[in-house]
Amino acid sequence: MTTATGRQASADDPRVMLDEQIGVFEPVPPYPPRTEREAEFYTLADGELFLNMGPQHPSTHGVLRVVLKLDGERVVDLDPVLGYLHRGVEKLCENADYHQAICYTDPLEYVSALFNEWAPVMAFEKLHDVEVPRRAEYIRVLSSELLRISSHALFMGWMALDLGGLTPILWSFIERDEIVDMLSALTGQRMLFNYFRIGGVNGDLNHDFLSRLGDWMTRATAQHEANLGLLNENEVFVRRMRGLGTIDTRTAIRMCMTGPNLRATGVPFDIRRAHPYSVYPELRFDIPTRSEGDCLARYLLRVDEIRQSLRIIDQCLHEMPDGPVMAKLPRLIRPRPGRAYAAVEGPRGQYAVYAVSDGTDQPFRFRIHDPSFVHLQSVGLLLPGNLVADTMAIMASLDPIMGGVDK
Amino acid sequence: MTAVARAWGRLTLPGKVVFTVVPLLALLVAATVIGIAVFGGAVLDILAANIGIVRFVLVATILLLAAPPIAFVIIYLEMKVIALMNLRIGPDRVGPWGTLLSTVHGLKVLMKEDFTPTGADAVVFTWAPVVVFTASILSALVLPFAPGLFGQDFSIALLYFFAVGGLTVVGLLMGGWSSFNKYSLLGGLRAAAQMVSYEIPLTLSVVGVIILAGTMSLDRIVDQQAGWLGDWFVFRQPLGFLVFFIAATAEGNRTPFDMTEADQEIVAGYATEYSGMRFGFFFFAEYINVFILSALTVILFFGGWHAPLSLPQIELALDPGSLGIGLLFLVALAPVVGTLLLGAPFYLLRSATKWWHALIIGFALFNVVVVLAVVAWATISFDWAAGLVWVLVKTFGFVFLFVWLRGTLPRVRVDQLMGLAWKWLLPASLLNLFVTAAAVVLVGG
Repeated sequence: MTTATGRQASADDPRVMLDEQIGVFEPVPPYPPRTEREAEFYTLADGELFLNMGPQHPSTHGVLRVVLKLDGERVVDLDPVLGYLHRGVEKLCENADYHQAICYTDPLEYVSALFNEWAPVMAFEKLHDVEVPRRAEYIRVLSSELLRISSHALFMGWMALDLGGLTPILWSFIERDEIVDMLSALTGQRMLFNYFRIGGVNGDLNHDFLSRLGDWMTRATAQHEANLGLLNENEVFVRRMRGLGTIDTRTAIRMCMTGPNLRATGVPFDIRRAHPYSVYPELRFDIPTRSEGDCLARYLLRVDEIRQSLRIIDQCLHEMPDGPVMAKLPRLIRPRPGRAYAAVEGPRGQYAVYAVSDGTDQPFRFRIHDPSFVHLQSVGLLLPGNLVADTMAIMASLDPIMGGVDK
Repeated sequence: MTAVARAWGRLTLPGKVVFTVVPLLALLVAATVIGIAVFGGAVLDILAANIGIVRFVLVATILLLAAPPIAFVIIYLEMKVIALMNLRIGPDRVGPWGTLLSTVHGLKVLMKEDFTPTGADAVVFTWAPVVVFTASILSALVLPFAPGLFGQDFSIALLYFFAVGGLTVVGLLMGGWSSFNKYSLLGGLRAAAQMVSYEIPLTLSVVGVIILAGTMSLDRIVDQQAGWLGDWFVFRQPLGFLVFFIAATAEGNRTPFDMTEADQEIVAGYATEYSGMRFGFFFFAEYINVFILSALTVILFFGGWHAPLSLPQIELALDPGSLGIGLLFLVALAPVVGTLLLGAPFYLLRSATKWWHALIIGFALFNVVVVLAVVAWATISFDWAAGLVWVLVKTFGFVFLFVWLRGTLPRVRVDQLMGLAWKWLLPASLLNLFVTAAAVVLVGG
């Protein structure tokens, strides 16, 4: 494949550096097209140009690279290039024993690490037939709902930042910081908690955590509503978000969307209700839905979810039973051969783990279903026809975390 | 000698130009001063005969020298105000309350590598920031800051302002085109589209003021607003002011209309490939533009140098000459006594303060007090000083408004931006123009 200047392009070719003057960087792969789609995409029609967005770009939420084919400011086509953050987490987990595997999954979706622990822990518990103490389940729900609030708050901030608003992101970070501080009092870490264990959690609730949580709960609702005023009543923000990146229910289901992105199209599908796990059947909360399916609906849905999470936390604190937080288990577990699938409702959607045991102390196969990755595939549907300015807004409204996309 | 030769060899082409031209200019100035001293009257006669040129050179020099400090103040203000809106602390390390941070930023920019990307059109790339900066400075030339304190008082000052201010877009387009970068190209094209669109409502919105004032000279427009608050044009041209302010926000590339450097979309727009002082010029020009547009708003709609209410006249009967030899003692003793008096509390009230720390604090405070006293005295005594103070106070009020907008609003989309200009601002400014003209014809101005 040649560049627009008709020259053989290869960054590895030393002559390129020595003899020739380096041209403009065209994001064309240095090999012949492997598929028809590639050949079609990397052929420019008259008046079109490639814009290589990322992997280093101020707002691609990590190291996503998207090659945009532009006609003026309008996106004609795009080619997301993934894998810049690939760490081989699934393979690492297959080479660690069951306890060690959990901490490898932590940094996948790094803004909601507890959910990444919860799914493998649940899968391993199913494999080994572990009965988890009820107090441990309540603590899991409590801490992960806190983290859901933090993740959604951060989403709101990023969303505004991608539209050019400077202030909301810092307000969200204040909210996130308070939550993360109390979780660090509980788990000892601020970001990658490594808190859930097979058969329970690492430690019981402590005074530091509870006092911070109680302090925060007294003003959380008011603070949340106050933060919203800057965006929900902002004409510029609402006008840009409404009707942008609309996806209908059928397409959303066909694109395997889950979580808030699916619920924003009107499907009340929530793993916590659809396939109940942990103590969620005992808790009272609603599943907010919206019918528009555009960026504003996805944003407002997350706002509603924060309110529901606050309700759940409140109930957890009131109904927390006494008892142990860890089941009696050997240091090294060797489940019987078999397979297990466990899914949790993460802040981004269905986060699932499929684990196969062959009777040794390591999982034979460990497969992660990550909502970020699944949602990112629909940018190909949503972006074409929109302006460059909206690419970032649409991508942000799907809320992908590149750590989870590239695994 | 080799060291000098090596240093010379390492200089970039613009550096060589600067290091040649600046000493030559210094020599020229020295020659002029010596010439005046030696030949006296003859040179002064020549200068007096060409007072227009002398005035232009003087004012241009003053504006060029004043531009960086103004930009520094606005940059610091923006950093601090947005930080407070974000519930952050903001700059607080360099200087008292971080006030020197923007100055240090300026010095940093000066020391950074002056990088030209491979493939860039070097000549256009180098001249683009110069064009942008010069356009800003030149448009400031006609702004009257106080009675008698202006660069030039054209009869077509307003026309000149928009004409020269419109040159900015040429510089931005040059930068965007020559950078050899697609983000820069998109930024430059956005700049061209946006500024050309917003020039029209911006210019049309002030036609109402021109009709009311009957002149395009900014000096006389301000004179028309003499009196109290109610005589300001903003109350006779509210729609005109609204359109003007929105269009000025877009013209200055400020949020929510900062399409040209939308960092979430096109990295830094036309300035993506710029570094060092070339980027610094773009940066300065942007903030000077904010200042100039605020100042123009004040001059056109908010009474310029006139106070909002006619303040009671205070007469100061200062006659330093009557003190005689006492004046000398006062000038010699006041700093010492002032320093000691102002430093004493710090030394006495806190035992950890060393005596020389207290002396430094006292001296600094004494300087502040003296500056404040001099400003107060000048404000009371001279019209132009009072006018300058009022213009600056009002102007920085509008600068604050620009900063406030930036802290609050997200960015509008390109098509929304264009739609606003053509569908709303242009009809609104035309309506304003017709209503004003009809009123002037019917009522008779």
